[in-house]
Amino acid sequence: MSADNSRERIPGVPRFKRDKTLPLGTEPFFPNFLLKEWIMGAVVLAGFIIWVIYNPVDLTPRANPDDSNFIPVPDWYFLFLYQLLKYFPGSVEVVGTVAVPLVSFLALLLVPWLDIKKNRRPGKRLATLSMVVAVVFMIWLTREAQVAYHMELAANPQALAELTAGASKDTGGSGGSSGKAAAGALVNTNDPGAKIFGQTCAGCHGADLKGAVGPKLLGIGKKFDEAKLEAIIKKGFPPNMPAGGTLTDPNQIKQVAHWLSQQKQ
Amino acid sequence: MLKRIYDWIDERLGVTPIWRDIADHEVPAHVNPATKMSAFIYCFGGLTFLIIVTQILSGMFLAMYYVPDIHNAYSSVKYITDQVLLGKIARGMHFWGASLVLIMMFLHMLRVFFTGAYKAPRELNWVVGVLIFAVMLFFGFTGYLLPWDQKAYWATSVGAQIADSVPFIGGSIKALLIGGNALGAMTLTRFFAIHVFFLPAALLILLALHFVMIRKQGIAGPM
Repeated sequence: MSADNSRERIPGVPRFKRDKTLPLGTEPFFPNFLLKEWIMGAVVLAGFIIWVIYNPVDLTPRANPDDSNFIPVPDWYFLFLYQLLKYFPGSVEVVGTVAVPLVSFLALLLVPWLDIKKNRRPGKRLATLSMVVAVVFMIWLTREAQVAYHMELAANPQALAELTAGASKDTGGSGGSSGKAAAGALVNTNDPGAKIFGQTCAGCHGADLKGAVGPKLLGIGKKFDEAKLEAIIKKGFPPNMPAGGTLTDPNQIKQVAHWLSQQKQ
Repeated sequence: MLKRIYDWIDERLGVTPIWRDIADHEVPAHVNPATKMSAFIYCFGGLTFLIIVTQILSGMFLAMYYVPDIHNAYSSVKYITDQVLLGKIARGMHFWGASLVLIMMFLHMLRVFFTGAYKAPRELNWVVGVLIFAVMLFFGFTGYLLPWDQKAYWATSVGAQIADSVPFIGGSIKALLIGGNALGAMTLTRFFAIHVFFLPAALLILLALHFVMIRKQGIAGPM
């Protein structure tokens, strides 16, 4: 880092003249290397801005401490920790909240002293394997947490309605559960399948089939026939819809599929 | 003319040695993407810093309108989103940037980890890097509450419960964190102060250490 006075300065600028004997591919940090970083940065920044424009951020209703309906869920990067806690209920809670995170963090911090052999090749170090296992485990935990959250939402239509009501109207947090007006395109709402749908599937797809967490199903009968719909419900729809949705009785699935197949408008 | 101006300033302030230390050094061939395409993995650190800069800038602009009290926080965020010119973009950048920083930083960490770049003599820089990572997670946790919406409130209350579960000192940590026994007005101002004063100060110091060490030690050689 010390200034090297033996090298010749380019007049009028702070830079040294380059040493021509340097190995091929070596380049000055400024401006050559920085330019490449800058190009990469510009591309990332452009992509980022486009993403931001097409993915506006919403607000959920205003914080309301009296509303116990809301299902709390942390940001995606805390999900794996959040999921981890669920495996340590009751008296062993401390293991999940303190012990495991603390040990993992310390291990990460002390990596240079845990992996002290000179070799740096990833294929020749145990550390590589342990990190791969850790990363796969974290991704798996995150996914588990997400699936669990969507199941919880599906089982609690009121929380879902509140979430989707969003900030479009500032409800003050209390009136957020008001349902949307039914759309005119619903067919045969007296069908027994419709009733089952309203009690189970509506949590994700909306009571009016307009969709929420799950996709909208209005006019689904035009796309799939009854048998195909039944098969889809039975198999579930990755990544979020489990097999059968929240239904287990094959008879009920049949009825829902029958009703959905009539939605041709 | 420009040269004369530069020399005039340099004579008085001695810019040249500073500039040499910061920018005038050779970058080795193995991180040059022109020699080997796969060398682009070395840009993750720089990109993380770039996104951090956008976070600082967008955060500064959000702070022009944001009001950290429980009566106005929600409406001020709503106002930024719906009314302020480009407010939606500024808030969007700050929101999504939080995720992007973590993604870039995670990739950067994995690169350093898999190339074993933390080995002697660069152990201290790894430690500082992990501390930066921790600061970033704390940024996420404190920033999450500021819009004072349902999501924010309940996620933070879970966080407070987790802090409470720490044996012996849990209660004190929770009190320190949320400023009392229950989540409320004190929590919001406290999180705001942590998010815009304490953490940025810590982050800038750690980043400075990180960069000074990179300049002192150089990039780890090829494997």
